[in-house]
Amino acid sequence: MTPKDYRYYTARDFALDEEFQQWILHPGIKSNAFWESWITQHPEKKETIETAMTLIRTVRFRSYSLAEKDKGELWDAIWDKIGSDEMELETEWPGIKSKKKWTTLSKYAAAVLLILVTTLALWKMTVHKTAIPRSFTVQTRAGEIKKVMLPDSSEVLMNANSRLVYHQKDAHAREVWLEGEAYFDVKHTVDQKAFLVHTYDNISIDVLGTRFNVNSFGKRISVVLQQGKIKLSIAENQGETQLYLKPGEVVNYNKESGNYAKSNTDTSQALSWTHGRLIMDHYSLNDVASFMKNIFDKNVIIQHKKLLQDSVSGSMPIVYNADTMLMQFSKVFEVQFKQHNKDEIWVQKQ
Amino acid sequence: MNGLDPAKKLRILSVSPSQAQLWDRFRNGDREALGSLYRQYIDDLYHYGMHFCRDEERVKDCLQDLFRDMWAERDHISAEIHNVRYYLLSSLRRRLLRSLQKDRRHKNRIIAHSFDLEFTQPQESTIIKNESSQEKAIKVHKAIALLSRRQREVIYLRFFQELSYAEIAQLMSLQVDSVYNLISKAIGLLKKSMAMLLILL
Repeated sequence: MTPKDYRYYTARDFALDEEFQQWILHPGIKSNAFWESWITQHPEKKETIETAMTLIRTVRFRSYSLAEKDKGELWDAIWDKIGSDEMELETEWPGIKSKKKWTTLSKYAAAVLLILVTTLALWKMTVHKTAIPRSFTVQTRAGEIKKVMLPDSSEVLMNANSRLVYHQKDAHAREVWLEGEAYFDVKHTVDQKAFLVHTYDNISIDVLGTRFNVNSFGKRISVVLQQGKIKLSIAENQGETQLYLKPGEVVNYNKESGNYAKSNTDTSQALSWTHGRLIMDHYSLNDVASFMKNIFDKNVIIQHKKLLQDSVSGSMPIVYNADTMLMQFSKVFEVQFKQHNKDEIWVQKQ
Repeated sequence: MNGLDPAKKLRILSVSPSQAQLWDRFRNGDREALGSLYRQYIDDLYHYGMHFCRDEERVKDCLQDLFRDMWAERDHISAEIHNVRYYLLSSLRRRLLRSLQKDRRHKNRIIAHSFDLEFTQPQESTIIKNESSQEKAIKVHKAIALLSRRQREVIYLRFFQELSYAEIAQLMSLQVDSVYNLISKAIGLLKKSMAMLLILL
């Protein structure tokens, strides 16, 4: 653009000039200094500039305004919708099988609703300070990961096909319910506020400022501690067992038998997904099938059991696209993945 | 005459760090931040909506959906929003258009009454004193009414909502040149009307 030469500007040109408009609409120290000195230097343009000013200033628009009451009501309606959206996510979640768990969940949903209603009422009373509702649900779809910041600044990285319900009962407790897999970076609070992670399979994790991964995909739950200290509570028929984990330890719990074992593990392998890598250690096509099921909700069927004898070790990037992942696996295992029907992908030798 | 650019600097200033922080906090799931955005922009959004279609219920519905979807989609909304006002206005505009397209009864109404300009007397005082000046004022209003809906909307977005020409172009799916031409013609017309107004003083 050629440099502007305001000396040749007409009133209309000035009124059209963004910089000039900006000065009229929002005078600032710099623009004031610029235009005032320019006008002093060019007294012959004073009248032109005044006309341009008048042009801009005289344009008015009919005013429409929303009463304070309406503003509050509209905001409440927005929250109601957000609340019911998030509630819907909960009730639509297909992973809950037993009826007993279902009831506890609905009770919980009622609590969420109650809290939401209370906070809405609070918002109405304190217009300047918005109360943060202390309950909400975050869900990831197949092939999607999400990073969530909780109200206490703790961070949760959620793997695909997972759901996290956050609930703060009172000022002293933070609680989440997890399905699927998530990596937690829990912030230590000054007042030693408890952080509880529940899975829907009898395991609760009690935390004080620490980093750990919980994987409850499929038939087992695996809790790996990277840093800090956590306490695991496992509900059993005879009562409750408590286990303490040190960094580098893993607890594997079998959802069907209720058996569990603690052992040492390479935490980097369990956490590799948080850096977008899949570390494979004697990885078989069975592992591929459960990966595809957990992350993309795809059913990989292995017809030839012979194929299961092969296993690989190494690593590959995790791409959140099912076809790309299958392509990578097909190269590594030297097999072909063919869409057999709508729901099934079959594995064939190359 | 170059080396000025106060407007560009102002623009950067207008995205104050707190505004960017607020946006980040909202994207990270902070509900309080959503509340702040609501309180900050609701008046101007409502004003735009009403000028756009003069249908209070429709505007409220669209605003409700706007904030609700914004929250639901917060993970997919860009962090690189330079002007939150622009983002909100363009989203509201799309919603209003979609809603109006579904409802054909309103098609004709919106063209006639949208973005009503009022031409106020600079000294805010004694303009319409006697009948003849009132008649003249009506003439002025008629002249303003000759502006097309697009011209009025462009003028509105620039002078009331203070969007830049580039933002207006993007919002209305126009070339920047076309926005400039629309405003230029509108200002030409306003200048004529103003001359009439000044004669009548």
